[in-house]
Amino acid sequence: MDYSEATERISRKFKKSGNEINREKVEGKLRRLIEEFGVQPAEAERSVSNELAKEFNIPPASPQGSSGTGSATGQKAIADVCPGDWVTLEGKVVSLAPPASPAIAQSGIVADESGAIRFVVWAKSNAPKIKEGAWYRIESAVVDEYKNIPNLKVHSGTTIKEIDKTDPLIPSPLPVKDLRPGIGSVRAKVIQEWDVTHDRMLQSGIVGDETGTIKFIIWKEQGKEKLAVGSVYSIFYAQVDEFNERLSLNLTSATIMQEEGDIATITGGDAEIRGAIVHIAPGSGIIKRCPVEGCNRALSRQNYCPIHEIQPNFVYDLRIKGWLDDGERTHNLLLKRDVVEALTGINLDQAKEIAENNPLGMDEVFLQMREKVLGRYVACKGREIENRVLVNSCERMHFESGEHTKLLNRAGGAS
Amino acid sequence: MSAKDTEMGRRDGSFEREPARRVFASELRECRYQFRDGEDEKSPTFVLLPTGERSNRIFLVGTLTEKTRQGEQNIFYRGRVIDPTGTFFIMAGSYQPEAMQQMAKIETPAFVAVTGKPNLYQKPDGSYLVSVRVESITVVDKETRDLWLLDTATRTLDRIDALATSTTPDILKAKEQYPTLDLATHRRMVYDALAQIKI
Repeated sequence: MDYSEATERISRKFKKSGNEINREKVEGKLRRLIEEFGVQPAEAERSVSNELAKEFNIPPASPQGSSGTGSATGQKAIADVCPGDWVTLEGKVVSLAPPASPAIAQSGIVADESGAIRFVVWAKSNAPKIKEGAWYRIESAVVDEYKNIPNLKVHSGTTIKEIDKTDPLIPSPLPVKDLRPGIGSVRAKVIQEWDVTHDRMLQSGIVGDETGTIKFIIWKEQGKEKLAVGSVYSIFYAQVDEFNERLSLNLTSATIMQEEGDIATITGGDAEIRGAIVHIAPGSGIIKRCPVEGCNRALSRQNYCPIHEIQPNFVYDLRIKGWLDDGERTHNLLLKRDVVEALTGINLDQAKEIAENNPLGMDEVFLQMREKVLGRYVACKGREIENRVLVNSCERMHFESGEHTKLLNRAGGAS
Repeated sequence: MSAKDTEMGRRDGSFEREPARRVFASELRECRYQFRDGEDEKSPTFVLLPTGERSNRIFLVGTLTEKTRQGEQNIFYRGRVIDPTGTFFIMAGSYQPEAMQQMAKIETPAFVAVTGKPNLYQKPDGSYLVSVRVESITVVDKETRDLWLLDTATRTLDRIDALATSTTPDILKAKEQYPTLDLATHRRMVYDALAQIKI
């Protein structure tokens, strides 16, 4: 392999600051890193450069913003910044969030016409306090990555100046399928609402447009309101998180506006699965839910909610959890109340009646429903999320003589 | 699903349930090879179906014609479930209390749907028996039985076709373990089973 090109690049870089490098030595180092230690060429070049920089006493090379404060050369559009960059940018503070640690003075989201990015102002930076809704010029901030999300860090070397700009900023919504970790805006419909699983959680569920769907979450915070299922919202500056290669939208600090009208949402996710119900799990049948606003957890037999303790004024609900098996794959099913009622023929009132008047109580509802459902062939339509199918409709399958004839021909055909 | 997938599924904590295979009684009766997938004490055991698929669990629907309660201290139930091709031997013991209670309640004869784990035993006289340890059993209607016949016929024909065309490790193993397997006989069995549905 030829290292002269990389050496030439390094040489030119240091010539600018008046330093001459020993080409032979540099080439030898590159060769050793790449051939002996299997280091990627780009990484080797970087590593050798840094070592030389230290030798020559040059501060670490910063691709942008190094030309000093006040210069506009390093200014970038927010959409173009990358982790590792030193940047100067102008943007509007579109949201502020409570700092997560005493080391942080302020945090929030800053946006320009091209996009938006999260920012953090370190307490040590002694930066002036910034206001939501105002435009600022931020010079020599550094961009890093936290949980895969680019983050603009304001440190002691950064200068922040409020600028006289009042341009209204209207972010352009992205199709749901184009969202990437960071900050994003969408126009989407609330498709589903899930049980909240944490007492700090206000709401979670799924939003979607015609290109895709994404999980959303809103944490409890003053002034936050729940979204209505079936309504369309313009969601500006939501945080797009990535976990286990799945994206989700954190709407806690987003600006949300309800829209008139309706939009199409993707239906491709609504797959049909057929098979036999081979297991009904405990916790199926009639259950009691916590009545505390926004909680809705299933209570234990003693009416105990893991968060809100004893709740004598519980709310009854129906659900079935179980496994659907087609002989090749098993699917974990979750049937909601209306689906349970349609499939079992037992509605909530009847189930309540059984639970309150039968010696076995709620167990009797479980047993009766199991007798009606277990071992039956059904066709379910729903959405599969994290190995669980949230079933929207579930119907018993029926014998089709056409299928029978086809199979007779198939079996008899070759004999 | 390959064995590797299953193992990986376990390692990262996301449990993957073994699917319940669809197999006629006369095929299950011919199983002679049982193996454990992995070294672990809790590794699942499989019987290898003659048509070349491993099975840790089966789902069957047929007529429960007989059930007997056995044992003094450790009570268990045995039963016979008939399909158009033969008999499944099922049992539920004190380790499956739910299944045992369900079985105790059922009056024979009845159409039943059974989910359970097949186990291969060699009797003292050297002959083999495949018995199904019941996980759940419920009384169902004739339509469910007919749907199962169609389902099992489809799956069995799929396996017969795959045996001729594909070479998964399980298929190769089956060819080694069941050298006398006659595909035409199995095809015939499927046809006869289907023919029992009266229209």
